[in-house]
Amino acid sequence: MNKTFIIIQREYLTRVRKKTFIISTLLFPLLYVGLIFGMGYLAESSQQVLNIALIDQSGYFSQAILDQENSTDPSSKVSLISEKAEDVLRDPEAAGFDGFIRMPALNWQKGNDSIWLESKKSYGSGTTAAVQAKLNRIWSRIKNDSLSIDESKQAILQGSQLSIRPRNLEDENTNANLAEVIGYIAGLLIYMILLIYGSQVMMGVMEEKTNRIAEVLVSSVRPFQMMMGKIVGIGLVALTQFLLWIGFVFLIYNITKATGNGLGSASAMVGAMQEVITGINMPLILFCFGFYFLGGFFFYASLYAAIGSAVNEDLREAQSLSFPVTMLVIISIALMTTAIANPTGPIAVWASLIPFSSPIVMMARIPYGVPGTVPWWQLGLSMILLVLGFLATVWFAAKIYRTGILMYGKKPSWGEMLKWVFRKS
Amino acid sequence: MQDLLRVEHLKKYFANQKAVDDISFSVASGQIFGLLGPNGAGKTTLIRMITGIFYPDSGSITFQGKPFDPIHDVRHIGYMPEERGLYKKMKIGEHALYLAQLKGLPRPEAMKQVKIWFERLEMQSWWNKKVEDLSKGMSQKLQFVSTVLHEPKLIILDEPFSGLDPVNSNLIKDEIHRLAQNGSTILFSTHRMEQVEEICEHIILVNKGEKILDGTVGAVKEQYKQNHFRLGIPAQPDDLLSQAPFELIRKGEREQIVQIHEDKNTNDVLQFLLDRSIPIRSFEELLPSLNEIFIRLVGDSPTARQFQIAS
Repeated sequence: MNKTFIIIQREYLTRVRKKTFIISTLLFPLLYVGLIFGMGYLAESSQQVLNIALIDQSGYFSQAILDQENSTDPSSKVSLISEKAEDVLRDPEAAGFDGFIRMPALNWQKGNDSIWLESKKSYGSGTTAAVQAKLNRIWSRIKNDSLSIDESKQAILQGSQLSIRPRNLEDENTNANLAEVIGYIAGLLIYMILLIYGSQVMMGVMEEKTNRIAEVLVSSVRPFQMMMGKIVGIGLVALTQFLLWIGFVFLIYNITKATGNGLGSASAMVGAMQEVITGINMPLILFCFGFYFLGGFFFYASLYAAIGSAVNEDLREAQSLSFPVTMLVIISIALMTTAIANPTGPIAVWASLIPFSSPIVMMARIPYGVPGTVPWWQLGLSMILLVLGFLATVWFAAKIYRTGILMYGKKPSWGEMLKWVFRKS
Repeated sequence: MQDLLRVEHLKKYFANQKAVDDISFSVASGQIFGLLGPNGAGKTTLIRMITGIFYPDSGSITFQGKPFDPIHDVRHIGYMPEERGLYKKMKIGEHALYLAQLKGLPRPEAMKQVKIWFERLEMQSWWNKKVEDLSKGMSQKLQFVSTVLHEPKLIILDEPFSGLDPVNSNLIKDEIHRLAQNGSTILFSTHRMEQVEEICEHIILVNKGEKILDGTVGAVKEQYKQNHFRLGIPAQPDDLLSQAPFELIRKGEREQIVQIHEDKNTNDVLQFLLDRSIPIRSFEELLPSLNEIFIRLVGDSPTARQFQIAS
């Protein structure tokens, strides 16, 4: 049996059998779902009613109209103040308000763009926007009345719109919103794999070095076999975790589909899933995900392995040395956000070709459609460059690893490590 | 006996030091061979070249009569480095199996060997224990088993007794002798001279990357002996000793350590004592210890002092 295979087997089995692997595989989807629902719930329940005093000098606003609006949008309560306005101006909180608006004299044809929501606490633009929308609804009615626009005309004004959506000539199925969501998820998943499993490779190599088992192993196998065995073994662990998650999703999908529309949220999920499956090119995305996941993992894991071999047991040394590598992953995520906003822009194209960022950025672009948004040549070139890229990092890492794994003492700098790479053996 | 291992003009220089500087020696098949030297003398670098971890800068290594080929020949070498290590979270049985498989043993064969060795060293009941639960002596035993269970032709042990209690130490010593009797060749690296005198047949001594001594333990001692003898006689007056064919080195109540003059021999000494009717209880040659020889060879240098303290 090939020795690399024996190492892969050990690295894989010891990790998959660990309780932490089983727990994290089961818990992560639960946490993820919990987080999404929990955040929605928190956002809803923690919303406070904003109590705003309106000191009106325009004469356009009446308490009756405000009450009507307050009941349609209960997130804020705007009350007209005429008496004791002085007290509110001096100290709104003592008078029982969160803030106040001094409405100046208004001209219905012009409006006013310098009205302030004044308060002791600071409120975000979201809060102001809600109050602004509420007052603007009243303002629209005043304008409509002044222009003698009745309700039927209003319905025409509001309902009749020109709506423009993106549609790609080459793949008609592409749904831009869906593509954005899938792009985000795919990019973030790869980002997580690179960081979590990359650092696992680094820790694994450090463990072998500090345990001093490296020298025992290195007298039986080549350092290259040791390194590749570790990287591939851990890569397979990551892959297993993913396949399990995908398996869960399909299992839940099929169960809820079979039991019919029992639960509202479950059947909504089935509907969403169906849309996802029919709305995009699923086989291609899964294939590309697998490819970029493995390519990106090899690219970064070998760099992390090199770092692990160079440092001693000190975790801080490892962190400072791995900082540049981690930065590359984080920059990729920043580039991904740009690429999702404009998937055919120059940044998106370049970042999805260059190996260090292509796993994350290309995965974010692919859901927009191949060959519509991402031409075949770009996908092909990106894949070839990624393969060349990881071959280069593996070669580079193997040189450092070979020297580093048996070197104890002072932490080397990146400069010294480069010397190890280009030294004749 | 054919040489199992022959090392010729081996050199390995690192950036700032000559770790191994032109060392040659050969190890006969079935021998227990001692590689001695203080810490930092180049022993580990030398061993790393013999185990294929490092490539020599120059020189050649011949293993079983053929140029050493690390990829295939490591199957026949068992190496226990001074810095030992095991995976803490692994079960002992699996660990031994894993290392045996990495040496190239197929799994069933590895399993068989592990069982034989675990039984021999009374480790069967440990099979499912984790390495982290072992005492230091126990993990040393496991390490030793992992080194030898693929039946290597050449077993390289770097400081095998460090950290072992006398019981386990003797156990390993017996195993070393047994392995040698069964035809394995053992290369034993240490800076502890007294262990070498008990175990090794042939030694070389290295210092600062160079070989300074090569021979069997007996021959080396013979070569460096200083005609010292232990004489079981009562203390004698000085005027008598001034005529004797020896020099008094150390005076004692019941025995004297003496050095015989170069032109005289042992019989001259006995004759001298018999002539004067001095009762002799014992008469014994004192050979220098390897430790003394080493200190004499490298002089009173900082290395030698370190050596004295270490041993």
